[in-house]
Amino acid sequence: MSDAGVIHDIGYQRYEGPRLGRPAVFGAIYQHGLRAAFGLGRSAKAKIFPWLVAGIVLLTAVINGAVKAQTNGQIVLFDYFSFDDTMSWLVIFFVAIVAPELVSRDMRSGVLPLYFSRPLRAFDYIGAKFVALATAVFLLLGVPQFIMFLFGAFTTDDGAKGVWNEFLDLAPGWGYTLIWAVLFASISLLIASFTGKRAFAAGGIVAFFLMTAPVVGVLSILPSTTANHLAGLASPMSLLVGVQSWLRGRNDLDLNIGDFGVVYGIEAFCLVAAALLLLLARYRKVASL
Amino acid sequence: MSTVAYITMRGLLGRRRVLLLLPLPLLLVGLALICRAYDVNPEQWGQAVVLGLGLAVVLPVISLIVGTGVLGSEVDDGTIVHILTKPLPRRDIILAKLLVASGVSAVTSAVPLFFAGLLADSVRFGLALVVGAVVGAIAYSALFLLLSLVTRRPVLLGLAYILVWEGLLGRFVSGTRVLSIEQYVISITDKIAPTGMLDGKVSLPVAIVMSLIFALGGTIYAINRLGSFSVAGETS
Repeated sequence: MSDAGVIHDIGYQRYEGPRLGRPAVFGAIYQHGLRAAFGLGRSAKAKIFPWLVAGIVLLTAVINGAVKAQTNGQIVLFDYFSFDDTMSWLVIFFVAIVAPELVSRDMRSGVLPLYFSRPLRAFDYIGAKFVALATAVFLLLGVPQFIMFLFGAFTTDDGAKGVWNEFLDLAPGWGYTLIWAVLFASISLLIASFTGKRAFAAGGIVAFFLMTAPVVGVLSILPSTTANHLAGLASPMSLLVGVQSWLRGRNDLDLNIGDFGVVYGIEAFCLVAAALLLLLARYRKVASL
Repeated sequence: MSTVAYITMRGLLGRRRVLLLLPLPLLLVGLALICRAYDVNPEQWGQAVVLGLGLAVVLPVISLIVGTGVLGSEVDDGTIVHILTKPLPRRDIILAKLLVASGVSAVTSAVPLFFAGLLADSVRFGLALVVGAVVGAIAYSALFLLLSLVTRRPVLLGLAYILVWEGLLGRFVSGTRVLSIEQYVISITDKIAPTGMLDGKVSLPVAIVMSLIFALGGTIYAINRLGSFSVAGETS
């Protein structure tokens, strides 16, 4: 800070405290994103939609757990895996609410140049938003799964061993939820980043997820076994079911994937990677504006 | 009134975002063509394409994007003030917007549905789908236009209606079907051209009367709301 470099000094006190740098900015955006996802720290209006979805999902988990407990495990509406699959429409609705909230809002109000005038890279911004949305989706599904676990744990007859067995069921269910969260978060953020209008972003996200589902239905009735086995690749929802049956070695799920399990795994990975890279490319442009 | 319609039309179609309306209809026709090319029995694919994609996704989603776009985006931008300050009856503004919205959504969803129906069954089925889609587009547009006046988040409320009410509850709880526009469209189409693909769950009189109630009630209430519309900045 040589005086020669100062164009105009009107004598304000300089900031001499610690500079927190990129990790702190990342953490701040992440925390703000996660709070914004559930409308925390915002008006009651912003809380209606996220909590409506969260409420329905929680209610389903409670009913499921109660039915299972009342019938001593005779009637199981959903296990930890099919719970995610059954809630898919609500997850779509949730990301359609939250993703535009996270990225479109910043574009519309024109604050991105302010963000990127900090020591913040496009990667940090995207990374923080993505992790925040993935965490929000994980909480949306993971907390109800945990409630189902509690119902199972408190009604078990085998003591600690029963609780442990229930937990061994829950842990892979959480893993599956994590894959759901990562895939849905990356795709919906990418779609939302194309428009600054939250309304259009929400419509686009829902349209994308919904229009892929019938493609699976059509491909799975074509007169070709290979096409039938690969049908699930066409839609994120059935892609995840395919990944599940590949990882668990199950063939009794709704979708028959034949020997193509590994293709499902690769596509899921590539889809997330591609969505994030495209997001990065998009924000590189914005960041250099 | 014609100027309002013209401006609305230009706002809707004059930008790049009109391309958003293209993929859904194209997918609908494309899937029908693929199935036809592979000689799959229409009994098998007809329901997935015509009902699962056409009536459950394309018609409501396009009506939603268009119906909330004609008025909602003007409310968002604040340009609604320019129209409201003109010496025009509020009724004319709503009618012009509704005309454009239902016209655009009817064309974009009825044309692909006609081809899908034609490929699946017959010209009669295609035309029945056109009638159903036009009725549906008018009812949906009136509903979504109204939503963009009563709430600041019309798209999310509309999505909740499509996804949760018609999609999730309509499948499990039979009582919700009486208030589901999708079911009216299915019933009307099924009555005009009975095929095995569509299964109307509500009776024809109920479907016609309820569609009318949605269309007229939505319009009248929207006129009423616009009559006492207060311009406010973005909240929440």
